[in-house]
Amino acid sequence: MPPKRFDQARPFVVLGLVLAGWLVVPVVLKTFLRASFFEFQAPLTLSASYARDLQEYWSLRLHTNDELIQAGRDLGRLTASYEDKVQENASLRDEIARLEAQLRLPSFGEFRAEPARVVRRDFSGWWQQIVIRKGANFGIPVGAPVIFAGGVVGRVLEVHAYTAVVELISDPNVRLAGVVEGDDRPVSFQGGNNPTFGPAQGVIEFVPLDIYASATAPKTLLTSGLGGVFPPGLVIGQITQVEPGADGLFKTGEVRLDPRLSSLNEVTVLVPVNPE
Amino acid sequence: MATSDINLADRSGSLVESHRSYQPRVIFFYFVVALLLLVLVGGLAYQQVIKGDIHHERERMQSQRRIVVPGPRGDIVDREGRVLVGNQQRLSIVLYLDELQVELRREYIRVRKNYRETGDRDLPSSEEMAQIARVSVAQHYLDQVNAIIGRDEKIDNRDFDSAHFSNQLLLPYVLIDDLAPEEFARLVEHLPVNSPLQVYTASKRVYPYDSAAAHVIGMVKPDTSVEVEDLGGDDLKTFRMKGTVGRDGLEKEYDTLLQGEAGGAIFQVDRMGYKVKPLQQRTPRQGKKLVTSLDIDLQLAAEASFAKYAEGKAGAVVALDVRTGEVLALASAPNYNLNEVSPRISTEKYAEIEEQGGWSNRATQGLYPPGSTFKILVSIAGMRAGTIDPDDTSIVCNGTVMVGNKRLLEENGTVQHGPIALREAIAESCDVYFWTQGLKTGVDVIATEARRFHLDQRTEIQLPETRGIVIPDPAWKERVLKEKWFPGDTANMSIGQGYVLVTPLDMACFAASVARGELTTKPTMLHDPQAPAQHSEPIGLTSAQRAVLLGGMEDCTISGTANYLTQYKDLRIPGLRIAGKTGTAQVSGKKNVAWFICFAPLEHPEIALAVAMEGDTAGETVGGGRYAAPIAQGVLKKWWEKKNAPTSPGISIKGPN
Repeated sequence: MPPKRFDQARPFVVLGLVLAGWLVVPVVLKTFLRASFFEFQAPLTLSASYARDLQEYWSLRLHTNDELIQAGRDLGRLTASYEDKVQENASLRDEIARLEAQLRLPSFGEFRAEPARVVRRDFSGWWQQIVIRKGANFGIPVGAPVIFAGGVVGRVLEVHAYTAVVELISDPNVRLAGVVEGDDRPVSFQGGNNPTFGPAQGVIEFVPLDIYASATAPKTLLTSGLGGVFPPGLVIGQITQVEPGADGLFKTGEVRLDPRLSSLNEVTVLVPVNPE
Repeated sequence: MATSDINLADRSGSLVESHRSYQPRVIFFYFVVALLLLVLVGGLAYQQVIKGDIHHERERMQSQRRIVVPGPRGDIVDREGRVLVGNQQRLSIVLYLDELQVELRREYIRVRKNYRETGDRDLPSSEEMAQIARVSVAQHYLDQVNAIIGRDEKIDNRDFDSAHFSNQLLLPYVLIDDLAPEEFARLVEHLPVNSPLQVYTASKRVYPYDSAAAHVIGMVKPDTSVEVEDLGGDDLKTFRMKGTVGRDGLEKEYDTLLQGEAGGAIFQVDRMGYKVKPLQQRTPRQGKKLVTSLDIDLQLAAEASFAKYAEGKAGAVVALDVRTGEVLALASAPNYNLNEVSPRISTEKYAEIEEQGGWSNRATQGLYPPGSTFKILVSIAGMRAGTIDPDDTSIVCNGTVMVGNKRLLEENGTVQHGPIALREAIAESCDVYFWTQGLKTGVDVIATEARRFHLDQRTEIQLPETRGIVIPDPAWKERVLKEKWFPGDTANMSIGQGYVLVTPLDMACFAASVARGELTTKPTMLHDPQAPAQHSEPIGLTSAQRAVLLGGMEDCTISGTANYLTQYKDLRIPGLRIAGKTGTAQVSGKKNVAWFICFAPLEHPEIALAVAMEGDTAGETVGGGRYAAPIAQGVLKKWWEKKNAPTSPGISIKGPN
């Protein structure tokens, strides 16, 4: 029987041995284990997501017939208005295509829109990520831009068989080229250090000195389309502050991001039709 | 058993005894050891206590490095705040070498392995393989950049390894300078945030008006001696990023004001010299703004007008604010595009400008005989001395005058003005009249009058000026040329020829002084909205004498030698009365110089001008009126337009009924 002192230290010894063992495991094996972990975990995540959908379905079943009839009428009205919008959009799309051709702008037609449901949100001071319910099975590539109704969501960081991890634009590791609305000079946007309970934000750099913005008169920051990842004209956020940098050459500033980024349920992945 | 006990007792006793026995040799070694320990402790104390500061200083010098970053230079603006020289951001992609230690080591091992596998006996040295590894890693990163922005750049081995890695390790290495906005955008979006490749910004001087006022503004040149205040660590090994320093013009004159405050940092470095952590930092700040007296509208008008009428010839235009002496425009031709020569200029471009004579600022450094514009000064000198009666018509111009035994001919004797008084003589620029009056007045009086107007001195403007101004007199000729003064010299001086040499700026100041009825105008390149009007000693003419002088100058622009200004519709400025005087000086055997000095409006002068244009037609006599006057008119036209430009309508606010 081992001495009592050693018996008490056994968990630490085992932990030490495991860590020491992990250190000597080849990198290839580690990468494989990590990838496998995500793939094994994916069904659980997906199951939880489907369970939530089912829960929602049964909660809807509890509504009365009157409520359902009313909802059906509302839906009918909504559908009618959407049909109008669809026709309007068709003519607008033609007009956009004509202008794009005239101005030689990159077209949204270069992307295939792939809607995806958000199955997990992973926010911390270090990273801001979501997991979506589509991955390699839908041809989602790494680096593809992700958008929602309010503008840019982020870009795809990792792609697994059935899921993909999206890095939000509020993540400090995301950087993209934007333009201030009404201006064509590119600026650099980077996700900021986000406060725990506050709205997501980012910072802009290389802002020309003649650009002004404040919390009372914010300016919209859009994607430039010059960077080769995001198409132009998507809303990144609102510039609420700019001030001259220490070098006197550019300004730096803060960007307020859409608060809905923290509660997204559906996003759209823009899959490049002809990737570079 | 008993035996054994005895043995034990014996042995025990012997052990005890041996332990307790006195061993002097051991004691000696105790002392030796103690002494050695004392030496060690003493040495330690010496190194720690006595020489501690020295070691600490050595360690500091070895483990700390200082970086100095220049502050951007201040803007240079015109009197209305329009930027003449600003800073433009220059975006570069740089490689932070201090983040590549592990990668460099791996690459070195790979390179060494590859060489060893070749089996070649003549292997490169360890240092050479390290160099190969460094260039290889840098090229690898440059290839990443090339792939993103579609370029095909290569690492310059010598610049990278010898110049940068060996001497500037703490500074980022510039892979590509001057990125286009699209390239900047692509790199921002494609490079990872924590990559050793980062977009870097620096400033360069930018000149929105290209060549406008090039000689006034001046250029900057690279400066490697940038210093930072309040950062400390002056004794540390310092890496300086290149700044700029004024090379000429206002950039040089006001370098201290324009120079930004340098910033920098002190870093702790490891044994290889790589950055560990910042210990102290100071951000650079932009230099102060310089508000010049120039009006860029007038400057552009002066340059455009000169280019139009001078057709590639050299010369200068100076326009002054009569009240304050502020220089409104100062142009010198030929000039050069500042954007093409700053901060670096190619040898070919330098030689091209040199060949054209473009480096010289002819407004302040060009020496010319003033020609007939000097007749204004001779008129003043004569009237003040009482030798010229403005109403006297006793002088009859028949185109020739005998001076001693030499006959002087006006325009080869083709011009005969007949009986002529001062007013007409000024308007028609009658040489016969001024030869006669000059000889009557005398060289000493004329030279003294010129000195009263400070024409023999530099104006002390904030630009480089020539030291060669000459207001001659017999003493000067004797001293400098070792020759006697002849009456012919006086005659020549009376019409601004001979030995008299002035600059266009001198004549502009003279015109401004005459306009105010005073002796001195101090020109300045700085604008001060609160500047008081300049005042100096009055010229000393009676009002009647002044009226004749100004009348002659106005007649010059209407019916006299500058009548082009009213004859040609394009040159007319309705409502503006101009007092002017033309001049065409012959530089012996070389070229003509066409002059025109003027001020306006005649009633209340506000602007004074001098134009000098180097001609190339020998014997040309009407150059001043034909060429120089229209150039001045171009500036006056713009000035008059601005003066009479409708101001924005005021907002009428109705009060309560």
